[in-house]
Amino acid sequence: MWYFVKNIGLKLLIVEDEISLKQSMIEFLSASSYLCESSSNYQDALEKIELYDYDCIILDIMLPDGSGLNLLKNLKQNNKTDGIIIISAKGELDDKIIGLEMGADDYLAKPFHLSELAVRVAAIIRRKSFQGKSHLIIGSISIDIQGKRVTVADKELDLTQKEYQLLLYLAINKNRVLSKNAIAQHLWGDDMDFPDNFDFIYAHIKNLRKKIVAAGSEDCIRSIYGEGYKLQIA
Amino acid sequence: MKLFSKYNRINITATILIFLAGSVAFYFVLNYVLIRQLDTSLRSEKQEITEYIQQHQQLPEIQNTKEQWIQIHKTDQAEPNSIIKSIPIYNRSESEIEYIRQLTFLVTVNKENFLVTVNKSETETEELLKLIILVTISMVAMILLFNYLINRRLITSIWQPFYNTINSIKDYAANQQSLTLSKEPIDEINLLNESLNRMTEQIHKDFYALRSFTENASHEMQTPLAIIRTKVEALYQHAEGKEIMMQQLLSIEDACLKLSKLHQSLLLLTKLENKQFILNETIQLSSILKEKCEERNDLIDSKHIELKIDASEFVMHFHQHLAEILISNLLNNAIRYTANGGAISIILNQQLLKVSNTAIAGSLDTERVFTRFYKASETGTGLGLSIIKEICASAGFEIAYQYEHEMHHFIINFQA
Repeated sequence: MWYFVKNIGLKLLIVEDEISLKQSMIEFLSASSYLCESSSNYQDALEKIELYDYDCIILDIMLPDGSGLNLLKNLKQNNKTDGIIIISAKGELDDKIIGLEMGADDYLAKPFHLSELAVRVAAIIRRKSFQGKSHLIIGSISIDIQGKRVTVADKELDLTQKEYQLLLYLAINKNRVLSKNAIAQHLWGDDMDFPDNFDFIYAHIKNLRKKIVAAGSEDCIRSIYGEGYKLQIA
Repeated sequence: MKLFSKYNRINITATILIFLAGSVAFYFVLNYVLIRQLDTSLRSEKQEITEYIQQHQQLPEIQNTKEQWIQIHKTDQAEPNSIIKSIPIYNRSESEIEYIRQLTFLVTVNKENFLVTVNKSETETEELLKLIILVTISMVAMILLFNYLINRRLITSIWQPFYNTINSIKDYAANQQSLTLSKEPIDEINLLNESLNRMTEQIHKDFYALRSFTENASHEMQTPLAIIRTKVEALYQHAEGKEIMMQQLLSIEDACLKLSKLHQSLLLLTKLENKQFILNETIQLSSILKEKCEERNDLIDSKHIELKIDASEFVMHFHQHLAEILISNLLNNAIRYTANGGAISIILNQQLLKVSNTAIAGSLDTERVFTRFYKASETGTGLGLSIIKEICASAGFEIAYQYEHEMHHFIINFQA
C-alpha cells in the first residue's frame, strides 16, 4: 500500500505564458511540496517534455508560439504517461471535448481557484502514480481515497458525500485559508448561483467538525471570521 | 404575386382594352365608309333617273332587284329637297327587321310631281361588317393567346437566372460559406449576382471576425481575471487575524467571479444569436432536471423551500449543454427569488416545462422581464432570463411569464 503524506518527489510542469499567473501557480503548488518546473512557450515546453518525465503537466492551450494541444499530441505519440490537466481561458466547450478526447486527464477553465487546481492535480497523480491506492493522513485523520472512507484512530467516520468532498478538499489544501467562494465552487460547481450568506456551507462545516471531534480527533478546522476556512495541522 | 402573373395581368388587360377601343373605333369608321358608299350609289341612281326624265320626259321603266328597288308615287307637295335616311323594315321572308337606306326626291314629268324613293338594302353592308368584326375578334384572341404563350416561355427562360439567384439567397445564413453565384449573359442579373457574391463574402468575413473577436476578447479578459483571483487567493494566507482584509479580499473575489460569469454569459448570448450550436443531440430533460435539482438540494434546504417536481420521462432533440444551462438558469432564478419558507413547483411533460415559485414582492415587469440586464434585485447578472429566452428561440420553443396567485410562472412551450 502506498501512503503519501507529503508530495515530496512529485514533479510538475507548468506551461503558461502569462508570467504572473505562472508565478502564482508555482508558489501555491510548491507550498504543497511539489517540485515545480515551468515553461512559458511552446518550444521550451516541448524540449522539457521530451527530456523529462513529470507526474503531472499543467497545460495552457493558447501559447504564443503554438498550441498546447500539439504538446498533448506529442506526449501521446511518444506514449508518455504524464498526467495532463488543461487550463484554458477560451472556456470553449469544444476545446474541452477535444482536449479530453486527445487524452488529457482533466480540464479547468480560467479563471480558477488555485486550491481547485491543487485538488485536480492531486487526483490525477493519485490515479496515475498510485493506481488510485493511496491514503491521505492529516493529523490523526486518515482518508482512504479509493474506498472513500475516513478513519480517526481506526474508528470509521460516517460522512455524507458532501462532507467527504469537503474534508478531502480541506486536507489537500491543508494549512491554507480557503474562501467560501472557493469551497462553494468546489462542492457545487460554477453553474450554481450562491446566496450571499453561504449558510449552507457553514452547516456542512459544522457537521463535519462535530463528527471529527466526536471520533476523538482534535478540532483542526478553523473558521476565519466565517469568510473562509482552513484545516490546520502543525 | 409572381412576377410572371403580375406582368401577364397588366399585359393582357392593356391588350384587351386597346383592342376593345380599337374595335369600337374600327366599327364606326367601317360603318361610316360603307354607308357613304351606299349613299353614293343611291345618288348615282337619282342622277340616272333625273337624266332619263330630262331626256325622255317620261318616267323610266323600273327594274327592281332584291338589293335595290324604286317606288314612284304621285304627290302634291312641291318641295324639291332630297332626303336620305336609314329606316327599319320588316322582311317577311326572313322574318326579321332589316335596315334599308332610302333616298327620296321629287321629279316633275309633264308638270306632274312624282315622289321617287330609291331603296337599297343595308344587309350586305351589315354582313360585311359582321365578317370584318369576326375576323378582328378572332385575330385579337389569337394575338392574346400567342402573346401569353410567348411571354410565358420568354419570361421563364429569361428570368430563370434571377430565380436561381433568389433560391440560393433564400436559405443563406451568415455562418455558412459566401455565395458563389454564376456569371449570367444578362447584365442586370450578372450585376445582381456579383453584388450578392461580394456582399455575402463580406458578411461571412465579418461574421468570423466578430466571432473570433468575441472568443479572443474572452480569452484576453479571463487571463487577467485569473491572475487577480490567484493573487487574492495568495493574499488570503496573510489575512489571518485581519478581519477587514479578509472581507475585502472576499469582495474582490466576488467581483471577479461576477465579472467572469458576466463575460461567459455575454459570450454565450453572442453564440446563441450567431446560431453556433447545432441542436441535434438526443437528451432526457427529466434526468437533467433531476440532476440539477439534486445539486441544489443544500441551497433549497437552507432556505426551507418546499420543492415539488412532476416530471414525465421523454427524449427530445436538443443540445445537452444548452439544456443544462436552461434548467440551471430557471432553477437559479426560482431559488433566488423565493423567500425563505416559500415553495417551488416544476411541471415537465412533452408539451411544456413550467417552473413556478412563490413571489417575494408582486409581479415582475412582464414587458421587460426577458430583456438584458433587467434585475428584480441586486444579485445576479441580469442575463439569466435573456439566455433562457435565446436558448428557447434557437430551439423554436416559446417562453412566457405569468403572475398568478402570488406566484411567478415561467412556462416553456415545446410544441410552439
